[in-house]
Amino acid sequence: MTIVVTGVGAVTALGRTAPESFDGIVRGERGFRELTLFDPGEARSKIVAEVRSVSAPADPRLSRTSELALIAAREALAQAGIDPKTRRVGLVLGGTTAGMFETESLLATLLSTTETSQQRDAALSRMLNHPLSAPTDRLVKELGPFARARSISSACSSGANAIAVAGTWLELGFVDAVLCGAADSLCRVILSGFSALGALDPEGARPFDARRRGLTLGEGAGMLVLERAGEHARARAICTLLGWASRSEAHHITNPEATGEAPHAAMLAALERAGLGPGDIDYVNAHGTGTPLNDPMETRALARLFGDDLKRVRVSSQKGMIGHTLAAAGAIEAVITALAIERGVVPPTGGLEQPDAECAALRHVTRSESRPIGAAISSSFGFGGMDAALVLGSRDRAAPARGKKRSVVVTGISAVTPAGIFTGTDVADLPERADGGTAVTFPEGALDPERARRLDRSSRIGALACREALASWAPSSGAKPTGVVLGSAFGAVDATAEFMRRLRDKGVRMVRPADFPSLVPSSPAGYVSIYLGLQGPALVVADLAASGECALAQAAELIAAGDVEHMCAGAVEERSAIVEQVLSLVFGGVSAGSARGEGGAALALATADSGAPALARLGDVMSFAEAAAADALASLPPPPEGAIVLLGSASAAALVARSRWSACSTILAPAICGGHEAAGSIAIAVAAAKVARGDAPAALFVGTARGWGYAGTVWRAGRERTT
Amino acid sequence: MPTSALTSEIKALLVSELNLSGKDPEAIADDAPLFGEGGLGLDSLDALQIAMLVEERFGVRVPEGDEARPIFRSVSTLAEFIEQSKTS
Repeated sequence: MTIVVTGVGAVTALGRTAPESFDGIVRGERGFRELTLFDPGEARSKIVAEVRSVSAPADPRLSRTSELALIAAREALAQAGIDPKTRRVGLVLGGTTAGMFETESLLATLLSTTETSQQRDAALSRMLNHPLSAPTDRLVKELGPFARARSISSACSSGANAIAVAGTWLELGFVDAVLCGAADSLCRVILSGFSALGALDPEGARPFDARRRGLTLGEGAGMLVLERAGEHARARAICTLLGWASRSEAHHITNPEATGEAPHAAMLAALERAGLGPGDIDYVNAHGTGTPLNDPMETRALARLFGDDLKRVRVSSQKGMIGHTLAAAGAIEAVITALAIERGVVPPTGGLEQPDAECAALRHVTRSESRPIGAAISSSFGFGGMDAALVLGSRDRAAPARGKKRSVVVTGISAVTPAGIFTGTDVADLPERADGGTAVTFPEGALDPERARRLDRSSRIGALACREALASWAPSSGAKPTGVVLGSAFGAVDATAEFMRRLRDKGVRMVRPADFPSLVPSSPAGYVSIYLGLQGPALVVADLAASGECALAQAAELIAAGDVEHMCAGAVEERSAIVEQVLSLVFGGVSAGSARGEGGAALALATADSGAPALARLGDVMSFAEAAAADALASLPPPPEGAIVLLGSASAAALVARSRWSACSTILAPAICGGHEAAGSIAIAVAAAKVARGDAPAALFVGTARGWGYAGTVWRAGRERTT
Repeated sequence: MPTSALTSEIKALLVSELNLSGKDPEAIADDAPLFGEGGLGLDSLDALQIAMLVEERFGVRVPEGDEARPIFRSVSTLAEFIEQSKTS
């Protein structure tokens, strides 16, 4: 099946539309100006690539990030001529900052006790902007309904991974078209964090240049519409999306691994998916941040990929023109690459005058060149070493036929709860062992103190859960690398508040550089991949109370589509005084009978044909709009005698009541692990463990959150049953 | 030579602020290398964190780049730098 790009949209410092931005880039313009959005204080650089054409949303409850995403999304949908109201359209949005710009100044306020309760309540209600899923919610509201929606983060490769996830949705036949991309707005946390890391070039970024000293932060959004290449779509195609892949460096939270092994592996795997070789590639849109460490590392990765052919392939980065737009970068650069292919114009690297000796092996483009591009790679690398590559081709190209959808088995189970850490089929005992506690205790020596010293609380829960899930069986060292998907609804809210308090009280120079990486929503997946040495795709997904179910759906999809053979999938949530206040304000108190707790759980998953010893078999994991829940649950097979139901949240009971599983015995996860957003992952772990131990022949798990639902089944291993 | 009070303060600061929870501050030798093998095994992210802490705690700005290298060699070089900067 071939996928075509039928619409693109972009907002950058150089323009409010994709063609406007592309034209500016081709002319060699650099969109660097002094920051006006907020006071940069003593930041190492006051130069940014700000989108001055977009002012603050009139409604204070809306975020700048969602505004940027919406503008680019409307452009892409209009060009594709697609209305989500009339077709089955999916939405995948990547991000890192989400509503941070709007909420960061409130966070420090929330820590103080001098405000009146009205001031605090007003601040707390605006915190609903904060989660990674908030911009997705806004796009659904303004442009939807969508058949399914997902919010993901892999730091600065989020945009590329959003496009990859969208590709798998088309391959798996979930939807007819996908609106996908990413958006990020500038904010104080990001500027001061990158400043503290010494990563900003005070003069403005110059990728690959000998004088480069760092990156320049930007903001913006890139969105694409992808469709299967039918006759109608082919006629409107801008280009094709032929391949994608992501790999993790499993090396360091901020420093790239110097040899470029993971980017090389990602590019190679993306080419393999595209059915192409390095010799077919005419252009590489590089990550090219302009930091001292990134550009030589990327040069080494490209030298490995292209070998003697390196001087033939044109390479450029636009981060010296539109800045590093973080999550949005991968999506904006895919849009630029798409237009470069469509128009036959190779865009230049802005700011590059004197290539650095370590980057001199590349064929740099300092002025745009008119020449046909048959196929191109767009690379994006993120904090924590999350590296992704996309392969785009001219509109007439065809991707190779893919094998059938793979089925998924469970090879390991774990749960990290206030009642203790449970592994394998022992997780089935959790309902009886719950003790009403709300905080997780880390046993002495549970994690290596030296290697775990930077891990924040959520990442520690994640590292423990994933390690225990992988403890019973792990793929051999020769197997394709294992990936990790973690659900995390809110990220490190309290740590962000503490970071902002230091910024407010002591200034930019006094924020803590080592704490900054934990504030990026993808950090639990990044830290887990580093701690456990997992080199496959690493992602965080967020869907409020259904973040655990969402993570399992995401991991199962990546396996089903053949992107990866082994995955660790779970969710983590840490206790947060601020989140508790927000939720009690919004919902009028924490739901009865369950104190808000913390914890997480994980499943180790494998393709059924990998030969991995299966504890249980996973049926389809469905993701649906709550309005379509009845249809989704009606498609479930009937429950066998003795089957059970696990609910991630109390509200999921209403969905089960209308299904054939309504008479089954039911366990409510928050009642056994405390109420928190990772409860769905614990519901899934208990479901898998009870089936694996033979307590039940099958289990259904259901979770819901703000208009979206997830459901899936677990069956005894070996029993053939299609769901 | 820097005072032992200062080196002890730096060691305690390193252990608490860099989360070296397994380490006894007093067991860190004054001249043990902070970075790389055979010492504390710290990295460039720790160096940034230490520079910030030194500025916050002692009111002394640590230079960047190559100039910082000799200062960050060990606890005693760091202590010497702080003492010199305070008296100069």
